[in-house]
Amino acid sequence: MKSLKALGIISTASVVLIMIAIISLLWGQYPIDFSTFIGYLNFKLFGGVGNDTYTLLDNIIIQIRLPRILLAILIGSSLAVSGASFQAMFVNPLVSPGILGVLAGASFGAALGMLISEQWYIVQTLAFVFGFIAVGVAVLVGSMVTNSRSTIMLVLGGVISGSLFTALLSIVKYVADPYSTLPAIVYWLMGSLTMADLSGVLYVSIPMLFSIIGMIILSKYFDLLSLGDEEAKALGVNVALVRFGAIVLATLASSLSVVMAGMIGWVGLIIPHIVRMAVGPSHRLLIPLSAIIGAIFLLLADSISRLAFSVEIPIGILTSLIGIPIFIIVLKNARAAWN
Amino acid sequence: MELNSIITIKNLHFAYSKKKILNGIDFNINRGEVVSLLGPNGCGKSTLIRLMLKLMNTDSGDILLNQKDIRNYSHKEIASHVAYIPQYHSVPFNYSVLEMVMMGRVSKLGLFAMPSKKDYDIAHESMRKIGIENLANQAFGQLSGGQKQMVLLARAFTQEVDTFIMDEPVSGLDYGNQIRLLETISKLSDQGYTFLKTTHYPDHALMVSSRVVVMNGGKIIANGNPKDVINPDMINSVYGVEADFIEHGSHTRCIPVFNKGI
Repeated sequence: MKSLKALGIISTASVVLIMIAIISLLWGQYPIDFSTFIGYLNFKLFGGVGNDTYTLLDNIIIQIRLPRILLAILIGSSLAVSGASFQAMFVNPLVSPGILGVLAGASFGAALGMLISEQWYIVQTLAFVFGFIAVGVAVLVGSMVTNSRSTIMLVLGGVISGSLFTALLSIVKYVADPYSTLPAIVYWLMGSLTMADLSGVLYVSIPMLFSIIGMIILSKYFDLLSLGDEEAKALGVNVALVRFGAIVLATLASSLSVVMAGMIGWVGLIIPHIVRMAVGPSHRLLIPLSAIIGAIFLLLADSISRLAFSVEIPIGILTSLIGIPIFIIVLKNARAAWN
Repeated sequence: MELNSIITIKNLHFAYSKKKILNGIDFNINRGEVVSLLGPNGCGKSTLIRLMLKLMNTDSGDILLNQKDIRNYSHKEIASHVAYIPQYHSVPFNYSVLEMVMMGRVSKLGLFAMPSKKDYDIAHESMRKIGIENLANQAFGQLSGGQKQMVLLARAFTQEVDTFIMDEPVSGLDYGNQIRLLETISKLSDQGYTFLKTTHYPDHALMVSSRVVVMNGGKIIANGNPKDVINPDMINSVYGVEADFIEHGSHTRCIPVFNKGI
């Protein structure tokens, strides 16, 4: 039974994700052994006699590691699912939140928000609005040159859109206070999960999970949309609604990732390709599995950036360094999966 | 008669910007018929089909699906009355045949529902009906044109409808697959299914149709019994070639007269 097999794959991947999350929770500058962790978990869940170690663990686990791990999972999922959705909606293997200019647009919006307001929701709203405008610019530029759906023209449109918002971002940086706002913007844009605090992560998890789950729900229509609009309509799909909905959700998820952790490139491009190579192109499995594999990828990348070097490397830099060689390998094999 | 009509088209007009495509079309498709739509390139056949499926909106005139204005249908509702079988084509992602066939079930599912065992059973039953069950796990992209067309036909059957609209079903198929596809349509029509198909081959229309509709210049110029409609005068006026007609077994065959070096 095909559905059961899919369910098995997703469950297995989820278990792997949970195991990696627990390992990263215990592993760090201050290693926590498993029995201490179980004791601590028991204490947190069922109460009992506390001690100094548990207070320390509270600090390390709840304040530092847990928010960071949750954020890595949320952002990895968001970017991978958004990438897979964009690829399906534009029927284009080369697009991703990064390539379409969404990350650049959201960066500009978020930086603008930081400049004009201290309100977090304004930063988030502007990031989403400009992320969405960036997709619009990419599509518009891509379709201005040819009116047929062209893979390369959309990529080119995205490059132009990305450059436009990078330039606008430079204006914001230029006028930002060089002693406070500018360094904040620069460090944030390099991509980092270090700023995560639990309440902030829980707060952003609501719209992010909403977007991810929304795209998973819509995923069963994605296969049909990839056949072309007319055929999808004839098969009974409300094409305009699904396409618009999926693009809005993908933009929302990837824009919020920018707000929380800056520009983290390549995840949205490579994870869908890797998953497609492993389990085939059917989006009903591809989208949810991309969510889990994206989370695993970013969690591993963050653990490396946290543990492997004496100085912590911003995760955005690390995902690029890991992502580029993977993408070259993937691209060589991707033709098979893409026809 | 009216009640028997699945699709009724009344005084239909359509134009792309200024270019008139359809110029007052009237006809209907009745339950159990196999209607062949003949006409030269650009006569408006494909446009008419797309309008019937509400893939575009009409300029004026009415299209009724089961006596109800098509404007009042959602795509989901239309898909539960008629299935569209496009010309076989390539797909951007390499889906398996089963995945391709299952796409016919998607509009039957609620927003949050996943395909159930029943949906898979229907998909397998449809493939069995068309005789392609052995292809289920193959990649759609690697199939021959004839096999792809059969997969699209099986997918249409998963929609659990009894009316099928086919756009030039034999185009691009080799000789053997053309004949096999026509035989399949003929067999299915004997089981009571209704077909509308466009075709470029008068001979095919003679082989498998209960009625032939001929279009030219955005108008219907003939509509009736295949043997009456397809005659030397019609072939000459629509296609500009001479044709001979011979009786062969139980069928009349239309054979073009081949003039070398006019």
